[in-house]
Amino acid sequence: MATTTLNPAAPAVRSGLYEWLTTTDHKKIGIMYLINSILFFVMGGILALIVRAELAQPGMQFVSESFYNQAFTMHASFMLFLFVIPILAGFGNYVVPLQIGAPDMAFPRINALSFWLLPLGGALMASGFFVSGGAAASGWTEYPPLSGAQFNGTGTDLWIMGLTLIGTSSILGSINFLVTIFKMRAPGMTLFRMPILVWTVLVTSVLVLMATPVLTSALVMLFIDRNYGGHFFDPANGGSAVLYQNVFWFYSHPAVYIMILPAMGIVSEILPVFSRKPLFGYKAFVFATVGIGALGFSVWAHHMFTTGSVFLPFFSLMTFLIAVPTGVKMFNWIATLWRGKLSFDTPLLYATGFLTMFLIGGINGAFSAAVPVDFAIHDTYWVVAHIHYVLFGGSVFAIFGGIYYWFPKMTGRMLGEGLGKIQFVIMFIGFNLTFFPMHQLGLAGMPRRIADYASSTGWSELNLAATIGGFVIAFSLLPFFWNVLVSLRNGKIAGDDPWGANTLEWATSSPPPPYNFDHLPEIRSERPVFDARHGRTSAH
Amino acid sequence: MSMPTRPRTGSGALLAGLIILAVAAITIGVLLAAGITPQRAWDSFFPVGGATPVTDRGRATRELYNIVFLIGATIFVIVEGLIVFTVFRYRRRADDDTLPPQTHGNNLVEVIWTAIPTAIVLFLFVMSWQTLNTVDAKAANPNVYVRAVAARFQWKFDYLDGPDGVGLSPKVLFSQVLPVGEDGGLVLPVGEPVHISLTSPDVIHAFYVPKFLFKRDVVPGKLNTFDFTVEEPGTFRGQCAELCGPYHGSMVFEVHAKPKAEFEAWLAAAIAKANATPAPQPSGDAAGPVVEAAAQNVAFTTPALAAPADKPFTIHFKNNDPAGVFHNIAIKDASGAEVFKGDLVDGGKDANYSVPALKAGTYPFNCTVHPNMTGTLTVQ
Amino acid sequence: MTADATSLTTQAETQTEAHAVEAHGSGGIGNPVLGMLLFIASEVMFFAGLFAAYFTIRANFIDIDGVRRWPPLAYDALLQPFRLFTDSGQLNLIVPATIILILSSVTCQLGVNAIKRGDRTGFLRNFAVTLVLGGTFLLMQAYDYSVLINEGLTMGATTFGTTYFTMTGFHGAHVFGGVLMLGVVAYRGMAGQFSAKHHDMVEATSLYWHFVDIVWIVLFSVIYLLPLLSRKGAL
Repeated sequence: MATTTLNPAAPAVRSGLYEWLTTTDHKKIGIMYLINSILFFVMGGILALIVRAELAQPGMQFVSESFYNQAFTMHASFMLFLFVIPILAGFGNYVVPLQIGAPDMAFPRINALSFWLLPLGGALMASGFFVSGGAAASGWTEYPPLSGAQFNGTGTDLWIMGLTLIGTSSILGSINFLVTIFKMRAPGMTLFRMPILVWTVLVTSVLVLMATPVLTSALVMLFIDRNYGGHFFDPANGGSAVLYQNVFWFYSHPAVYIMILPAMGIVSEILPVFSRKPLFGYKAFVFATVGIGALGFSVWAHHMFTTGSVFLPFFSLMTFLIAVPTGVKMFNWIATLWRGKLSFDTPLLYATGFLTMFLIGGINGAFSAAVPVDFAIHDTYWVVAHIHYVLFGGSVFAIFGGIYYWFPKMTGRMLGEGLGKIQFVIMFIGFNLTFFPMHQLGLAGMPRRIADYASSTGWSELNLAATIGGFVIAFSLLPFFWNVLVSLRNGKIAGDDPWGANTLEWATSSPPPPYNFDHLPEIRSERPVFDARHGRTSAH
Repeated sequence: MSMPTRPRTGSGALLAGLIILAVAAITIGVLLAAGITPQRAWDSFFPVGGATPVTDRGRATRELYNIVFLIGATIFVIVEGLIVFTVFRYRRRADDDTLPPQTHGNNLVEVIWTAIPTAIVLFLFVMSWQTLNTVDAKAANPNVYVRAVAARFQWKFDYLDGPDGVGLSPKVLFSQVLPVGEDGGLVLPVGEPVHISLTSPDVIHAFYVPKFLFKRDVVPGKLNTFDFTVEEPGTFRGQCAELCGPYHGSMVFEVHAKPKAEFEAWLAAAIAKANATPAPQPSGDAAGPVVEAAAQNVAFTTPALAAPADKPFTIHFKNNDPAGVFHNIAIKDASGAEVFKGDLVDGGKDANYSVPALKAGTYPFNCTVHPNMTGTLTVQ
Repeated sequence: MTADATSLTTQAETQTEAHAVEAHGSGGIGNPVLGMLLFIASEVMFFAGLFAAYFTIRANFIDIDGVRRWPPLAYDALLQPFRLFTDSGQLNLIVPATIILILSSVTCQLGVNAIKRGDRTGFLRNFAVTLVLGGTFLLMQAYDYSVLINEGLTMGATTFGTTYFTMTGFHGAHVFGGVLMLGVVAYRGMAGQFSAKHHDMVEATSLYWHFVDIVWIVLFSVIYLLPLLSRKGAL
């Protein structure tokens, strides 16, 4: 059912292996990003199940303490650096050029390089499991002196090297996105007519560009300390352990906005389409995104409140302030749904799931902004609850929403709605069962990153509940993978615009031809396809 | 302009909502069956199960927590309620193809929902800054000075005759090597200001006592200090709260708060014992059959021991860890009662433990410094 | 779906202007040049992290005799930039190297100006000189490293050694990368790939080269000149 006149829709999925290995087409590269990221999502998930299995009951039943530490370290490292950040870059890669009416990214070969650095960097990191001493095991934060050569072996060096490659991939990608967005928009698409996803990718790319190199410098210094006799973080020789934390968090705090802003962009694409109204407060949303990006550079030391080395009132104030633009977005989203006509296809389920769960993550984060409260809850399971409500309840839900929303565009076929809804319900239940009790556990005094706990602490029941929830989440992935496999073969043919959507990617075939567009509709607002469908050509 | 055909809507949300409600109902049912009363459930939303914190500053923190909780819970109820309402109220009817009003924004509303959250967070900031000044205040005249030494993987408490600091070298009156138990732990007086300094010879640790609602990092090369007053007697568990290696989870300690007179008597006795000629290492000729036991890397390398029944025997215990890492062997019977506790043995040393005769059976044993170190003694 | 298809196609057909999508943006700064500027921004942040570490370490340093000073007494003599010979009679090439690097930025810019007015020969000559000067800088740095190591300043010789070698070392690595870029651009230039209208990579490379030079000026000032000021009591 292609609408483009010249070429029948090219079936992207059936191209030969060589084509995929050598492609510079942003659409194929985007799909490869998605596949690689989901692979690491599964690997990170298995590591999480090992952690949860061990914690279900007091006593060490399954693994040694040493392996346990590797498990949670690599779980987080895979999830953050090889799943969340890259999969959002993958969505950006696929969707942004289409949404701005461009034929590809500004630097297609560098785009390919950006992708291939990921499996390479991931393999380097993961290879730690096979060396003597095991993989990196000092937490994904790898604070020295614990991450020093005296306490941890080659696995940590492999982690550093892998992460440096992954960071390079990110930085190159951000340059690509920025040049593409600034220089390659179709005529008529002013900055304030860009889809919100493009805005969030723009701001995210600025964060990646400016923050990731600082992580590289921290990794370089750690590597020098570990391997070349350096003393950057060596307190016995004039160095400072807290210095690492400052440099590390200067990146890693903006990193969490790198992990959430494109996800918010995805939600902001889905909500208007499925409520059949425009995004409420588009301009405010853009300013809120920029505000979060800017403020995000001023809060890093809120991860270090208990070190005794931080100017507490400043960082507490900035942390509280960043709740304001975030709250503005929440209200904008609700106002988008308000008085709309909501169609509860799976993408909208995930988008509203995002709203309900991210709200909890935002509220429980505010507790940590209050410094004395942070003294009580820092490094406890409260923080584990917070990070998973924002990263899983937030980013992962948005990611699944994006998968269901754009799968038809990428493959030409719809994912099954029934299986999608089943997956959502099971995942939602499993997610809350796993992570809600962690609020209680943190308040009760259970620290993070412990392999075991005494039965006298009374933490067993909630840990058992969380473990059951973890396996429920894992189980919910089965209908998802089944859905993908079945739909690739037998899914309903999607056509150009199965959702009745707003933005330019829906103005071409599913999947698009290699050059993306034969014709572009007139661009007079942030919803050019909607305008064309409803015969509106007046300026927005 | 006809809309593309869409699957039916409305009933999906209803179904999902019903499922979630059912799951919530089951959860509540299971909780009730497990004996978790509504009161306990409510308490679980507050630090240490709603118990009153045991320090002056902890109480200030709890009050701040209450304020943040109240505001957070209110926002949650309102906004989540709004989302749930919207999601159900504005479901599209299956046959409705018309567009809803295409509202792009509303400046007044947007200003209001920017201004009110700003006011709320500024209020919370001021409240938390005031509490911080209380919590971080220095005590004018601390009565007790303790240096907590965190090393992989145990806590040691050095009682000092004055404050620790750059250029200061207070004398160590007494070193509490056992971190838990009735002859161990951080013993403190009730009602008197205490000054703790934190040091570590190896990696970053953190001193955390949940009932104090407080923790502070122990950073090598940096002396962190804090003051507080314990307001009630009792035993409070503490634990390291910064990943320090594989046995991070075992780095527990206890705070024993005693009434002032009791504390002073305890401290005097402890100092006297420390100054007295150190008791000879419990060695000498072994009596009865000798059982070999050893520990290394904060674990028993001999977790399964065997001894004959109904006769006293000796455990020759070698501590193969480095100096400063103390171990011992404490044996309990099946009911959990302690039948033997050996003196602490420093790293690199060994000792002979004379164990009294035991009836046949299995006896779990552990190290009292590192409770994760466990083993089983089979007597037959 | 067909209704939509027709409507969209009809819409497009009724618009007479072609919505041609240009590959190199609609005027203004070229894509490769913009890309290079952004890349340079990211490299600035990388060095910013190293500088942050340097200043933190410097502020907290206590020498072996318990006095707060920087650089440590043991390496003070090595850090005198304006002395051509060290105490043990070896060459100190840091100032000549600095002059050479600054000169190379001048020749690089002359090369860019040349290609902008179509002067291929001028461009190639200047870029060749730049390349040679850049290589000379690296050789001088390598020599200086050997002298310093001989005199006892190594990576592990207090945090001063660590920060010194890390910062100058990564700068040197960036110079090396710049030399490679200059080589590639010179090669492409000799193959006739650049003209007055098309020389994006020449401009981009020169921007990178200027960046590398500016980083060196800042590094040199912070590591070598700042201690002179503080020693004279100005700080």
